[in-house]
Amino acid sequence: MDLFNNLLLGFQTAGSIENLFFCLIGVLLGTLIGVLPGIGATATIAMLLPITFQLEPVSSLIMLAGIYYGAQYGGSTTAILINMPGESSSAVTAIDGYQMARKGKAGAALAIAAIGSFFAGTVSTFLVAIFALPLTGIALQFGAAEYFSLMVVGLVSSIALAHGSIIKALAMVALGLLLGLVGTDIYTGAPRFTLGIREYADGLNFVAVAVGVFGIAEILRNLENERTREVLMAKVSGLMPSREDLRAIVAPVLRGTAIGSVLGILPGGGAILASFASYTVEKKVSKHPEEFGHGAVAGVAGPESANNAGAQTSFIPLLTLGIPANPVMALMVGAMIIQGIVPGPNVAAEQPALFWGIIASMWIGNLMLVILNLPLIGLWVKLLTIPYYLLFPIIMAFCSIGVYSVNSNVYDLYAVAFFGLLGYLLLKLRCEPAPLLLGFVLGPLLEENLRRAMILSRGDPSTFVTRPISAGLLFIAVVVLIVVFLPSVRKKREEVFVEED
Amino acid sequence: MISSLIPVLVTGIQSREVLRVKRVFAPQTRRCWIPVTSTGMRRGDNPPYHPWVEIHPSHSGIVPKSTHGALRFEYYHLWSVLEPIASASVSSANEAKQAPEEMCASGFWSLEEEIMKLFNAVLGATALAAVSLASVQVYAQGYPERQITMVVPFAAGGPTDTVARLVAESMSKDLGQQIVVENVGGAGGSLGAGRVAAAEADGYTVLLHHIGMATSATLYRKLAYDTLNAFEYVGLVTDVPMTIVARKDMEANDLKGLVDYAKANADKVTVANAGIGAASHLCGMLFMSAIQTPLVTVPYKGTGPAMTDLLGGQVDIMCDQTTNTTKQIQGGTIKAYAVTSPERLEIFKDLPTVKEAGLESMTVGIWHGIYTPKGTPAEINERLSKSLQGALKDPNITARFAELGTKPSPETDATPAALKAKLESEITRWKPIIEAAGQYAD
Amino acid sequence: MNSQSFDKANLICGILLILAGIFFAYQSIELELGTAFRMGPGYFPFILAMALILFGAIILFQAFRVEGEPIGPIAWRGIIFILAAPIFFGITVRGLGFVPSLFFTGLIAAFASHKMKPLTAVVLAALLTIFSIAVFSYGLGLPFQRFGPWVRF
Repeated sequence: MDLFNNLLLGFQTAGSIENLFFCLIGVLLGTLIGVLPGIGATATIAMLLPITFQLEPVSSLIMLAGIYYGAQYGGSTTAILINMPGESSSAVTAIDGYQMARKGKAGAALAIAAIGSFFAGTVSTFLVAIFALPLTGIALQFGAAEYFSLMVVGLVSSIALAHGSIIKALAMVALGLLLGLVGTDIYTGAPRFTLGIREYADGLNFVAVAVGVFGIAEILRNLENERTREVLMAKVSGLMPSREDLRAIVAPVLRGTAIGSVLGILPGGGAILASFASYTVEKKVSKHPEEFGHGAVAGVAGPESANNAGAQTSFIPLLTLGIPANPVMALMVGAMIIQGIVPGPNVAAEQPALFWGIIASMWIGNLMLVILNLPLIGLWVKLLTIPYYLLFPIIMAFCSIGVYSVNSNVYDLYAVAFFGLLGYLLLKLRCEPAPLLLGFVLGPLLEENLRRAMILSRGDPSTFVTRPISAGLLFIAVVVLIVVFLPSVRKKREEVFVEED
Repeated sequence: MISSLIPVLVTGIQSREVLRVKRVFAPQTRRCWIPVTSTGMRRGDNPPYHPWVEIHPSHSGIVPKSTHGALRFEYYHLWSVLEPIASASVSSANEAKQAPEEMCASGFWSLEEEIMKLFNAVLGATALAAVSLASVQVYAQGYPERQITMVVPFAAGGPTDTVARLVAESMSKDLGQQIVVENVGGAGGSLGAGRVAAAEADGYTVLLHHIGMATSATLYRKLAYDTLNAFEYVGLVTDVPMTIVARKDMEANDLKGLVDYAKANADKVTVANAGIGAASHLCGMLFMSAIQTPLVTVPYKGTGPAMTDLLGGQVDIMCDQTTNTTKQIQGGTIKAYAVTSPERLEIFKDLPTVKEAGLESMTVGIWHGIYTPKGTPAEINERLSKSLQGALKDPNITARFAELGTKPSPETDATPAALKAKLESEITRWKPIIEAAGQYAD
Repeated sequence: MNSQSFDKANLICGILLILAGIFFAYQSIELELGTAFRMGPGYFPFILAMALILFGAIILFQAFRVEGEPIGPIAWRGIIFILAAPIFFGITVRGLGFVPSLFFTGLIAAFASHKMKPLTAVVLAALLTIFSIAVFSYGLGLPFQRFGPWVRF
């Protein structure tokens, strides 16, 4: 009954007219800024953060949480509409969402994303409420060896992200991993691959890489045929998903929610993997894996749900341990401290109204997001009817602002140009950017945890198999590897001469 | 006689334009005051001052810093004076206020002519204007007249950012202008510091940096700026104490026990830190240097993951700011052994200081200071310093700082001289420790 | 001889990957490699660079086995103008300030399309700038200087 009372307290807090209002404003602002191309959730929150400082602590955090969901959803919208992801999670949504949009199903893709997110948000809110405290214990069992093994699972699964040549996907992952290592080596302080540019000492900016290889490459691709034909964008057919679509997304949404919830709990950045993992799973269980990469409904529904569930449950380490799991959560901590609340293991006991208020507001925020965005879908889709040649200067301007605003680092802008070129080159060479991006995200985590695990085990590599969780994860990696490779090997035998497509 | 061209620099009220006015004067004119406007004072300016421009033939168009006049005007409403004033040793706006008409008695030009020439000069001197930008003259009395940017060389949401935002908010109230925090993270804070070092020395770009200012002078062998010669000083903000903490199930019960344990298991005991140059890295080095035993260092990317692993018992020891450890200690999730401040902390009455526990050389704090670029007028630094002192007395700040286990620097430390002395002594202190560890970040 | 008897895309791809691999490998060797049990900063990237070279080589090999589709047209004009836009923004945002810099960034990007008329481009860039100033500079109060030192006089 404790739970009931706590939730009641939470809803009382979050449900006050004032807090509902701030939640709404947060969701609205988050969506509107997040939907601007090239401005992802981190940039949006960093931009909107100061607005919340003037409010009461609870209202301020509720608004901030609203901004977070809004920004996430806004980011997915741009990913679907113009292939411009602002976060690693929406990069996965972009794969099939953008293809759906090109086939005239932008409305359906957006609606599926919204519905999937809402469902995942609802479930994971309750998970947070019920399991927040016991789950943290498990999360703390994750040391360097476990994270390394988890990243290996992610890496192995990444191969499934590709819908072309597996060897090219592997090459892209390797390249991505290497690009992810750019910057100062945390163990020795040695700068790596920075070409002597100090501004890259903390690594390449994710937004710069994502916007470059996805968004700008896509703009360039659209420009190349300008003289001869219109940009391929089929006529928009219906704003809402069909009954068939809805039936098709039930299972992916459930699986995505489960995957996202589990990975989001890990404070060491498990949520990064959520959408990638969900995509892989969906592709593997699907009866029509060939549809993936060409506008598969499940390829939008699964990752979006996983993403939102992960976003939600990544509040768990913050609320129960006082540890931010990602840059966005770090911003939340900053906001809390400025409000005079230092997050720590006792927040739930010391500030029950705040703790449960935030949890309740998560659900309210998600509800508002759906109510707000379903009608907006028509408007977003209308944006696609703007002639492309008017759209892309706008895209370029916003993505310049967005990338610059994160760290006021002009070299990030040069990186955008470089990765735009690289992305276009890869596109022309029929290499896919998604595995590259996953590699980029995983690279530093993989190496960091590998080396840390080795330091902690005094150079004994058996640590990866003697620690049970780590061993279990590695076992999963092997299974995934077999599952991924078997069909392709079989296929190879059958069609010796056709490697690709 | 008309024989020399004497440019005048004037500064505008809001937009801070620099106008180069070509004026023609008799050669014997050495110094003359031109009343610029009768409408130029900003309402509410206290004490009111007379808007003058000083013409200085010996300088090629740029009024030197030491003699620049106070100028605020909304309309370029010029009255000029021809007569030389050889004997008038006017050097400050206040003195000039006494009798401008007597000093420059005759020879007023027409307003229209003046305005025309002014505009011609502005149009013609665009190229030169770029050069003279470097020396935009701002008078401390009028400062600040627009938004000030406070560069924090770390990511938003971190402890330094928090300190900056709290202080900035309070200082804004006193200065009457908004101080916005700009996070320029990267390379252990040296990117942000480099940005400020290269900024205009007009008081509108300030830097809030912590102890890293002193340690990066040694940690980074190739800095883009010269730490001791690239900045002016405003004052110390706060000195955040560090705490020596360990995993919850650590066997030792006091600092001495911990040191003994560490010495006995030197090859096994792990010390976590949040990356090279981080407070926890510095304190970790200091700890090993103090107990004269090298331990296994485990770096992380940021305090978050390091603390997670400490909570999970994956690593043994960490030494970090109270900002990061207070709540965990109170929650009993980690074990605290000592604070590095000279006195015990209000929030942890039972926690001994390192001095009491026998490691006096570990007395250390993560001090934060505010800097301005080299060449920023002393009046501005004083003004900022005064504002900082006021902010540090703000009960809101005191309360927030206390929650984080720190307190504001005393008024005597929130001064340019104190910060300068601190920076110099800390560079000297850390140099041998960092060099002994032999790890650089460049 | 048929010039399309190999896959041009894979050929280029393979070569580029190998070159990238060599670049990273070379850079890694300059760092301390260490051993598998005590890895230095160069160890992990060196392994990856080797893998990259291997994958590149396989792709290169495959290029001669399969006939591929042509690479197709290349958006040279797009590359020049689109990529110049963020670079221009980066070079000028602090000097010129947010307003002029953003205006020209939009303008430069606009010329990537053949369809864009100069007047439309100017109007578009102007509207874009006004919107951004209103939202980011005034609305959200981002610490951008609206006009930088190069245009102040």
